[in-house]
Amino acid sequence: MAAAIFSIMIVLLLLGFPMMVPLIAGALVGFVTLFGGLGQLETMIQQMMAGIRPASLIAVPMFIFAADIMTRGQSAGRLIDMVMAFVGHLKGGLAISTAAACTMFGAVSGSTQATVVAIGGPLRPRMQKAGYGDSFILALIVNASDIAFLIPPSIGMIIYGVVSNTSIAELFIAGIGPGLLILVLFAVYSWAYAVRNGVPTEPRASWGERLRAVRAALWPLGFPVIIIGGIYGGIFSPTEAAAACVLYALILETLVFREMGLRDIYRTAKSTGLITGVVFILVAAGAAFSWVISFAQIPQAILSGAGIDQMGQIGVLFAISIAFFIGCMFVDPIVVILILVPIFAPVVADVGLDPVLVGTLITLQVAIGSATPPFGCDIFTAIAVFKRPYMEVIRGTPPFILILLGVSVALIFFPQIALFFRDLAFPGEAG
Amino acid sequence: DTWRYAFEEALDEVQGIYAQKFKEEIEANTDHEIQLFPYGTLGESADIMEQAQDGILQFVDQSPGFTGSLIPEAQVFFVPYLLPQDTETLASFFRNSKAINEMFPTLYADQGLELLTMFPEGEVAITTKEPFKTPEDLDEVKIRTMTNPLLVESYKAFGATPTPLPWGEVYGALQTNIIQGQENPMFFIESTKMYEVTDYVTRIGHNNFTTAVMANKDFFEDLSDEDRQAIRDAADAAFAHIIDYQKGLTEASVEKIKEAKPSMTFTTLSEEERQPFKDAAGEVEAKFLEMTGDSGKEILDQMKEDLKTAEDATQS
Amino acid sequence: MAYVSSLPGVLGTIDAAIARAESALLAAGVLLMALNTVANVVGRYLFQSSLFFTEELNRILIVVITFAGISYAARQGRHIRMSAIYDALPPRARKILMIAIALITAALMFGLCWFAVAYLLTQAGRGRVLPALQIPVWTTLVIVPIGLFMTGMQYLLTAVKNAISRDVYLSTVVLEGYDDEETEV
Ligand code: NA
Ligand code: NA
Repeated sequence: MAAAIFSIMIVLLLLGFPMMVPLIAGALVGFVTLFGGLGQLETMIQQMMAGIRPASLIAVPMFIFAADIMTRGQSAGRLIDMVMAFVGHLKGGLAISTAAACTMFGAVSGSTQATVVAIGGPLRPRMQKAGYGDSFILALIVNASDIAFLIPPSIGMIIYGVVSNTSIAELFIAGIGPGLLILVLFAVYSWAYAVRNGVPTEPRASWGERLRAVRAALWPLGFPVIIIGGIYGGIFSPTEAAAACVLYALILETLVFREMGLRDIYRTAKSTGLITGVVFILVAAGAAFSWVISFAQIPQAILSGAGIDQMGQIGVLFAISIAFFIGCMFVDPIVVILILVPIFAPVVADVGLDPVLVGTLITLQVAIGSATPPFGCDIFTAIAVFKRPYMEVIRGTPPFILILLGVSVALIFFPQIALFFRDLAFPGEAG
Repeated sequence: DTWRYAFEEALDEVQGIYAQKFKEEIEANTDHEIQLFPYGTLGESADIMEQAQDGILQFVDQSPGFTGSLIPEAQVFFVPYLLPQDTETLASFFRNSKAINEMFPTLYADQGLELLTMFPEGEVAITTKEPFKTPEDLDEVKIRTMTNPLLVESYKAFGATPTPLPWGEVYGALQTNIIQGQENPMFFIESTKMYEVTDYVTRIGHNNFTTAVMANKDFFEDLSDEDRQAIRDAADAAFAHIIDYQKGLTEASVEKIKEAKPSMTFTTLSEEERQPFKDAAGEVEAKFLEMTGDSGKEILDQMKEDLKTAEDATQS
Repeated sequence: MAYVSSLPGVLGTIDAAIARAESALLAAGVLLMALNTVANVVGRYLFQSSLFFTEELNRILIVVITFAGISYAARQGRHIRMSAIYDALPPRARKILMIAIALITAALMFGLCWFAVAYLLTQAGRGRVLPALQIPVWTTLVIVPIGLFMTGMQYLLTAVKNAISRDVYLSTVVLEGYDDEETEV
């Protein structure tokens, strides 16, 4: 059954059907095969509803809305001008700042989709103007946003911690090393890209110009204060911070900068709703599809034939990486974690692997999978928001995926990348 | 045949242990096979409940607290200080109660479900960032509750600020201090690492988390007499197993938490200290009666009677 | 650019009215979600009392936004697709393929609409209510079959539009190709 479903999905995808069709058709074929007819399709509707219900998803439309207001108004431009005043003269400076901003925003907001919109939205036009290729920009935004999975708070790590009975605090710390390593490698690649493609730099801004840029950005600097200060300061949940940003953006653009009127707000809200619908119908269909995979116990069937219990530590780590990488290409990461972690748990214990290392590796695969074709959620978001063709959005991804896979392999052979900080913070746990 | 059984917790948590024992019994005594689906693999609590009603799942474990939206009377388990803390009294109550064994099955049957058993999962403890002994200490303390009117009412009555929050956000919210406390059975506090982001565990004895296992009614009625009996026997065996398993489970969880975090402080309030909280329980009971009317009152009265019987039986 | 229905007469008037209703629902849903979420924060800090229904209301709104959104997106030709192979085909093949895609997608949407109605009826029969708001669950899902039906209609009309006109259309009003302009409603 699995082979038939995957083939149908790929064919429909390649023929150019709206992306929701392959996902819905995959789920539909699964339901019909499992229950011998159309008798249980109500459960498919139920699971589509379940897919868009998680409270954390509310942050997505809220950040889309806030980012859209900021971009249509003056807030985003002023913030970027400020950053450019400091890094515009550096080779690849804008790209590196974009990567860092994506990582930071994603880490704090807890939503990679929101990051694609909130950081990518305003920065993409500026990077285009600076001379970066669009495919590079889109791939950078999508992949840098996904580093956020590794930086606390990380919902993937919380789920893994609960399912595998592993300390969430240790997981959080272990994610920081690989997360920063990836960011550094992305920065190096961005610099290399800028050099090779001769992306021009701006003249170095004087301190006077920098001061003026900071002053112009004083009001919009309230956004990072709301998001970072609000969330780490314990005032807001990420979703609430997103809504607070909406409110702040509305106040700034209508009352302070007087850039937008009621008509513009209505238009922006509507466009936010459209993007949300386009992305969330895929999330919904994906959830129904995941349910089929889980109910039919397809992962169990595939993995029981793979002989994972015969492998050593390195072998098991590779098997886990591959299983999660492939799983996250097709199915929602949270569901993949919930299904696969218990299957691997006995083997992980048998060969004596550190569950924190395993959790970090899994989270990394989740990050890669969300940015990887064919069904990466962040790719969908980028397509919906930037209105670019699918192929253009994924054309620039291979170098980034290579870096991510390289870090995965490095993590398997040098666990200290993850465990160094953990052992520093929790000395008792070493070994 | 292959039967499917979904529950709300992980495989190594209480509902999972019950399910594993049930599976073991069925597979040993019949030629049927059971597939287990732990938390989240087929959806949230409400989803698996519907799937059991639809007959996609043959068995489901859903706590009455979550069943409240379908069967309002099931929320009686949220009335504070109703259930006793003593394990033996509790087991005797669940075994013999007329409310549990006669009244609730009728309510579940109306929803297409055969109630197989209800069992306790352990005393609910409160974890907080600061110590507390009185309702006044809880003033302005935000405690996470499930989205349930009675639970919200309870924590209001206890003097706290109840803050409904989806479970996935609780760890992060405690870490950043959006909320300062949450409640759960001790094994769950241990397994979900709630102790990492709070410092005090307080037992005020207000509740014992209860859960229920059901079968799809049409499926159950179409079975042969032997199969039905095998299911009843398996449910009984798993009940005995889970009561036995829970002896010392709370203490074992406490030990594990202490080992992982020696600075964690455990407090059990004395009967006197509990009195102000008990006094507050009246408001919640009134709210329950307001929400469920005559049928709620009937269940509540019967439960009180059954509890008295259980107490008398275990004390003699 | 204002939205002009490509349907004739009364149908066109109805279509334009539906388009306006969808966009009003979308905008209202998003704004209400922001307001609801902020109000909860204000309640928590100023009045020491969370709005017990915030989460449930947001869940209702997200369903409204998603299912009003898919129909609106179909109208605007904005649903995500991978068109690499499609784009490489000659115009005539593209037209035939587009008609097939639109018809199959429409059929799928009508099918889902049917099962969504069945799901609603089952929900109504069981009488499940939302724990905090205490309103029947089925009432919060009414938009689901409506949105699916409207989406199906849009794809059906797209097939018709392609069959009767020279160019290839992504939706009744949007020509194929990537266009930065959004049609205003
Ligand atoms: Na994160
Ligand atoms: Na993916």
